[in-house]
Amino acid sequence: MNLATIAIKNTRRNLFRTVLTIFGVAVAMLAFLLLRTVLSAWLVGVEYSAKDRLATRHKITFIMTLPKRYVEDVRQVPGVTAVTWFNWFGGKLPGKEDQFFGTMAVDIKSFLDVYDEIYVPPEQKANVLADRRGAIVGASLARQFGWKVGDHITLDGTIFPGQWEFNVDGIYTATKKSIDQSSLYFHWDYLNESLPEIQREQVGWIASKVPDAGQAATVAKRIDTLFEPRDIQTLSMSERAMNTSFLGMISTLLDAMQIVSFVILLIMMLILGNTIAMGVRERTHEYGVLRAIGFMPKHLSAFVVAEATVLGLLGGALGVAIGIPLINQGVGRFMEESFTGLFPYFRVLERDVFIVMGLSVGLAVIAAIIPAYNASKLHVVDALRKFG
Amino acid sequence: MSDASGTSSAPALIRLMKVGKSYFRGREPIEVLTDLDLEMPEGAFEALMGPSGSGKSTLLNLIAGLDSPTSGTILVSGQDLGRMSDAERAKWRSQNVGFIFQTYNLLPVLTAVENVELPLLLTSVASKERRKRALTALRIVGLEDRASHRPDQLSGGQQQRVAIARAIVTDPKIIVADEPTGDLDRVSADAILDLLVNLNQELKKTIVMVTHDQRAADRATIVRRLDKGQLT
Repeated sequence: MNLATIAIKNTRRNLFRTVLTIFGVAVAMLAFLLLRTVLSAWLVGVEYSAKDRLATRHKITFIMTLPKRYVEDVRQVPGVTAVTWFNWFGGKLPGKEDQFFGTMAVDIKSFLDVYDEIYVPPEQKANVLADRRGAIVGASLARQFGWKVGDHITLDGTIFPGQWEFNVDGIYTATKKSIDQSSLYFHWDYLNESLPEIQREQVGWIASKVPDAGQAATVAKRIDTLFEPRDIQTLSMSERAMNTSFLGMISTLLDAMQIVSFVILLIMMLILGNTIAMGVRERTHEYGVLRAIGFMPKHLSAFVVAEATVLGLLGGALGVAIGIPLINQGVGRFMEESFTGLFPYFRVLERDVFIVMGLSVGLAVIAAIIPAYNASKLHVVDALRKFG
Repeated sequence: MSDASGTSSAPALIRLMKVGKSYFRGREPIEVLTDLDLEMPEGAFEALMGPSGSGKSTLLNLIAGLDSPTSGTILVSGQDLGRMSDAERAKWRSQNVGFIFQTYNLLPVLTAVENVELPLLLTSVASKERRKRALTALRIVGLEDRASHRPDQLSGGQQQRVAIARAIVTDPKIIVADEPTGDLDRVSADAILDLLVNLNQELKKTIVMVTHDQRAADRATIVRRLDKGQLT
C-alpha cells in the first residue's frame, strides 16, 4: 500500500457518484473527441493534399470555365510535367437525389497520371480507357450503392441536363487520405461530344504537376503570366492552397466548433471540480484524523489531486474507448459515405486521442486545485470537530 | 489509582507551565485554559475528567501537539511544542503520539491491516516491513484474523481495537485517547480498557485519556479533574 493506492481506493468510497462522474467526464470527452475528429477530418484534405500539384481556374470564379486549348498551353509551361483537366458534372442518382456524391468529367488517362495516388486495377483501367461511357467509382461510393464492376448506371445531369448512362468499368481506391473515395469519374470526351456546339471545348479547371513542391509557386506564376494578355485570365495555386481557400469559406463554422469543444471541456471541469470539492467537504473530519496522525498538508493535497487524476484518467479512457469504435465504425463510415466531399477520411486520429487523454488528466488536476488547497489549509482541531 | 495529588517517582514526560489557551468566538475571546501547571510522569496512565466545556479535549490537543498554546510552555520529552512549526509538530506527532478517537476514525476504504499501516507510510520503513509491523500490532490487539476486513465488516469494539493498533504501530511514547469507550457497550468498553492497561503496563506506554466514564477513569493510575480551565 502507498499514497497512490489510497487515492485509488478513495474513488470507491461513493461508488455511485464516482461512476456518474466518470461517465460525465467520458461523455464530455466523447463529445470533444467527436468535434476534434470533425475538425481534423475537415483539415485532413488540406494536410494530405499534394504540394506538387497545381490547380488553374478562371481568375474571377471557380464556376466559370476555361477554354480547353489552355490545357495545351499549360503543358508547354516550363516546370509542368503532366496536365489533366476537369469539368464538374453534378450528376444525381434518380430517386436518390438527396444523396450527394462527386461526379466529374476527366481525361481519365492523364487524370490517373497526375493523381497517381488513385489506384485502379490494371485490367479495369484498360477497360475504362477503351470504353467511351466507362466510369471509375470510388470504393466507398460503390459500397454505398452496391455497385460492382460491369454495372450499368444512369445519372440525372443537374448542370448538363438529361439522362446520362455509364458503365462501371473500375473501382478505385486511394493510397492517400486526401483522396475522396466516393466520387465518380468518367470520360470528358463523352460529356464534350454530347453537348451543344456552343458549350463544347470548355474545362472547369486544369490540374498540373510540377517536379517538386519548391517550384509550385514559380510555375503557378508562369502559368498566370502566360494567360495575362488573353481574354480570360487564370488563377493558379497549389492544391493545398486551393483546399485551404475552401476551408477559409467555412472558417467561422470551424471556429464555432472549436469554441463549442472548449465550452464542453469547461463544463466538464466545473462538474469534476464540484464533485471533488464535495468529497473534500464530506471528508473534512477524516482529513483531520490524517493530519493528527502526522500527514502533512501536502499529503492531503496530493490525495485530492491524485483522486481527481484517477477520475479524469478513467473518464478520458472510457470516452476514448467508446469514441474510437463509435466514430471509426459508426459515425465515421456514415460521414465518409454520406458527405464524402467534405469528409473523405473521418476517423479518430492518434493525435486527438493523446489530446483527449492529456486534457482529461490536465483538466482534472486543474479542477482539483482549489479543493486541494482548501484541504491543505484545514486546521487539524477544527477538522476533527466536523462530521459529515 | 491515585488522584491528581498522587505523586510518582518517574521523571515527568509531559510538563505544562502556565499554559493558557483561548479561542475567539467572533470578536469575543473565550478563555478555555488558564495558567495551567501540570506534570505527567513517563509510563503513567492518566485520566482527564470534568464537565463538558471544562477544557479536557483542549488540554489533550495541546499535549498531543494538535494545537499550540496561547501562552505558557508545553514540554514533552524536553521538546517545546509551542516553538515548533505546524510541519514540525506534524512530524513530531507521527513519531511520538498515537491517537485513539471516540468514533474510531478508520478509513472505510482500507482494510484493518491497511488502516494500521497508515501511519507507517510517513516513515522510511519498507513496504514488507510495514505490513509485518501492522500485523504485529493487530496481533497485540487480538485482531490478526480480521486483517483483511474493512471497518464496516467489524463491530464497534473491533474497530476501536484496530484504531488502537494504528495508535501503537509506530511505537510512540504517548497514546492520547479521547473518550475511547464513549461509543461502546460495557463489555466492549471493558475489553478496550483492559487493552489500554496492558499497553501501559507491558509496553510502558504513557496514556492520557479524556473520559466522562468513571469506570474508565478507575482503570487509570492518575485521575485529574478539570473545571472551567483549571485543575481542581
